[in-house]
Amino acid sequence: MTMAPANCYWLVLPLVVAISLVYSASRHESWPRIWTHAVRLCLWILGILIGTTALLLLINTQV
Amino acid sequence: MSQATVLLRRPYRAAFLAWLVPGLGHFYQGRTGKGWLYAICILSLYLTGFLLGEGKIVYWRWVNPLNNPEKFCLYYLGQFFVGLPALPALIQGTIHYLAPDQNPLFWGFMAEPPQNVLNGLQPRLSKLVEIGTIYTTVAGLLNILAIYDAFEGPAYLDAENPGDATAIVSALSAGEAVKARGST
Repeated sequence: MTMAPANCYWLVLPLVVAISLVYSASRHESWPRIWTHAVRLCLWILGILIGTTALLLLINTQV
Repeated sequence: MSQATVLLRRPYRAAFLAWLVPGLGHFYQGRTGKGWLYAICILSLYLTGFLLGEGKIVYWRWVNPLNNPEKFCLYYLGQFFVGLPALPALIQGTIHYLAPDQNPLFWGFMAEPPQNVLNGLQPRLSKLVEIGTIYTTVAGLLNILAIYDAFEGPAYLDAENPGDATAIVSALSAGEAVKARGST
């Protein structure tokens, strides 16, 4: 199986979604809270990852 | 005040089942929704990672991590917690340790690949080996959360309606309440 290096980054999405769902399910028992917590956590993780990537790209283009 | 109850049927057995197959402990406790969620998330993550690494990234070898840290399979410590899907690696590793000359069982499924195969993985699959290893390891680590949830219940005793109370009840058998926590 081969995949272009740029496409590899999409594989972070299912990982983050699974982590968010499982973590939220371990915190709560009611489904509305699980979904809400999972969406919030997913956005937080993705935001941090995208922000960090953007920062590293910015630094890399300056050096 | 109405009360929603989380019945934790036989926590030790449920925790063992949750380790054996992700989600199974929750099915055993009658928490089928969460059982499906854990099973789908954890097993699909593990299977995807396993396939990305062409089945050669989950294996175990018995070595002393202090004497031979480079040979020590650190990732398997996480992968192990997926349970049954990662167990053949432990069996193959143990057989190889006890009888090094014996051929691996099941056509070498999850046995430690030869060094030339391992060396060839990285140039051929590039980042997919790393991603597959991360997927399988994280799947195992996530199952620890699921095991703990089967044993101890959810961290927060929240109810859907603010006026409701939620109680976690551990029961050795149906109807036998041993421990009640958080009921108000």
